[in-house]
Amino acid sequence: MTGSSSGGANPLSAVLDARDVTRSFGDKQVLSGVDLRVGAGRISALLGPNGAGKTTFLRILTGLLLAEGGHVSVAGIDVGQDPMAARRHIGFFPSADRTFYNRLSGLENLAFFGRMYGIRRQEALARARKRLVDVGLSDAVDQRVGLYSHGMQKRLSMARALLMDPPVLVIDEATDGLDPEGARRVQDLTRSIAADGTAVIWTTQRLDEIRGFADAVTVLDQGRTTFQGTVEDLMLKSSARGYLLRLRTADATLDDDASRRAAAALGDRGKLARVGTDREHFRLDLEEHAVLGEVLADLSATGVVVLDCAQQRSELEESFLRLTTART
Amino acid sequence: MTGTRSGALAEALKLGAFFRRDLLVRLSYRGAIVSDWINLFAQALVFSFVSKLVHPIHINGGGRTSYIAFVTVGIAVAGFMAVGLARLVSAIQQEQSLGTLESLMVTPTTASVVLLGSVIYDLIYVPFRTVIFLIIVSIVFNVSFAASGYIPALLILAAFIPFVWGLGSIASAGVLTFRRGSGAIGFLAFALTFTSGAYFPLALFPSWVAPLASINPIGIAITGMRAQLIGGAGWHDALVTIAKLVPLSGITLLLGLYAFRLAMRRERRLGTLGLY
Repeated sequence: MTGSSSGGANPLSAVLDARDVTRSFGDKQVLSGVDLRVGAGRISALLGPNGAGKTTFLRILTGLLLAEGGHVSVAGIDVGQDPMAARRHIGFFPSADRTFYNRLSGLENLAFFGRMYGIRRQEALARARKRLVDVGLSDAVDQRVGLYSHGMQKRLSMARALLMDPPVLVIDEATDGLDPEGARRVQDLTRSIAADGTAVIWTTQRLDEIRGFADAVTVLDQGRTTFQGTVEDLMLKSSARGYLLRLRTADATLDDDASRRAAAALGDRGKLARVGTDREHFRLDLEEHAVLGEVLADLSATGVVVLDCAQQRSELEESFLRLTTART
Repeated sequence: MTGTRSGALAEALKLGAFFRRDLLVRLSYRGAIVSDWINLFAQALVFSFVSKLVHPIHINGGGRTSYIAFVTVGIAVAGFMAVGLARLVSAIQQEQSLGTLESLMVTPTTASVVLLGSVIYDLIYVPFRTVIFLIIVSIVFNVSFAASGYIPALLILAAFIPFVWGLGSIASAGVLTFRRGSGAIGFLAFALTFTSGAYFPLALFPSWVAPLASINPIGIAITGMRAQLIGGAGWHDALVTIAKLVPLSGITLLLGLYAFRLAMRRERRLGTLGLY
């Protein structure tokens, strides 16, 4: 673990408190001592490549799966000891597409799940209507869910997760498959829910969506926590930064001599490599201490003309790849 | 989180939500409802022709009743058994394949209520369907049932219902664990029904079938209901039949619920509840 911050949430007031959670399937250790504490009103992002253990961890948080070791509590209730009581305090947004009854309307689906929390039908209907409006499905209240688009089903999942105003909201890949407008709507809603005091665990693989959104980040890799801290802390973990350059000399594409001169000008500040067989496109990887402007100026001084310079990955993505072993 | 009810009453009240859900789903498949009734009557029609070939002397009661009256009770109870069992087995499997089982299991609802709730519609509809079938067939095929036998027969059916729930729960636990097995369950249901004398008098079977039928809850229920509806056997016979059925049904139901809880616990331990 390379950081210890819980993203500003006071551990003493953590609504969700998971400590040293372990879990294996057969011989495969899926989670090894994972910690996560989320305070009221905080959004904690959980990142990790496929197979990192994110979904297993979420399933333990929601009581769908038993942990082999460690302790998970929600609103002070031990999930392992009393999963039924703990579930009253959790809203869960599953990543799967099909989690509703397709022959029923959105309203009937939500009313049904509301009643599973022990509330009367009239109250379930009132809550369902309110949440359908909140997620922008007021025009599809009586439409069968089977006729909903992918984005509408995602929004319906959000409405269901929020139905009982839970103090903890567990969201698994909410924006997966959504268009930018749909993703933004879900994020805005989550932000406003958090502002009302809900602790949010937000799992995603879209790294850039956590910038300016999450208060804290936990990176899982092969069942281990490789980073915990703020988004800014995570960006500081970035080292090599990649850029795609279009380079020429004044009258031609770069020949081998010009390429060697450019590499020499770069020195130990990074690496310059041709992209495929293209004569104009180069990949520039800068080390942490290098300043892009200075590097480009030095390249120009060798007679190379920089036609274009585009960053290839965000600092977040670089950090994520550095912290995880997956490089696919 | 206000307005929530807790305890056993709250859990029981959730069954109403399951019933409404399945009623709405079934009503959205109107064609299936119509075809179910057509099939039931087609079956009765076939047996009405068969009854013309069977001399009443072969039927229990020594010629006092017709084969169509005899077999109608068998069809009704066997149909109840088949539909009830099939729904119990498929309900959880269907929730799994729909992806809704995990959504249900993250709510504060017990596994027993999820199981019972998933079949509550059929537990109410199938006995209703059975009674309506008996009434309509008695009118259409001019089968006369003893009016004094209606109430005792219904009580025998009520005593038999928990047996179907229990057997279905055991089967459901098996399917939850092994993901397959509905074929084996169907064969078991067929074997139990066929050797119960539902369609043919036990006298036509090998001699070893009769003793088995006497401890087979389906056989006990069918024989008891026939005695009431055709023979007008009276309350004493009905109570004897019910006394035989209650312990068998009770034990089967308890075993079923226990097996289902074990299966659900295993799924939670392995984390495979959502996999189908």
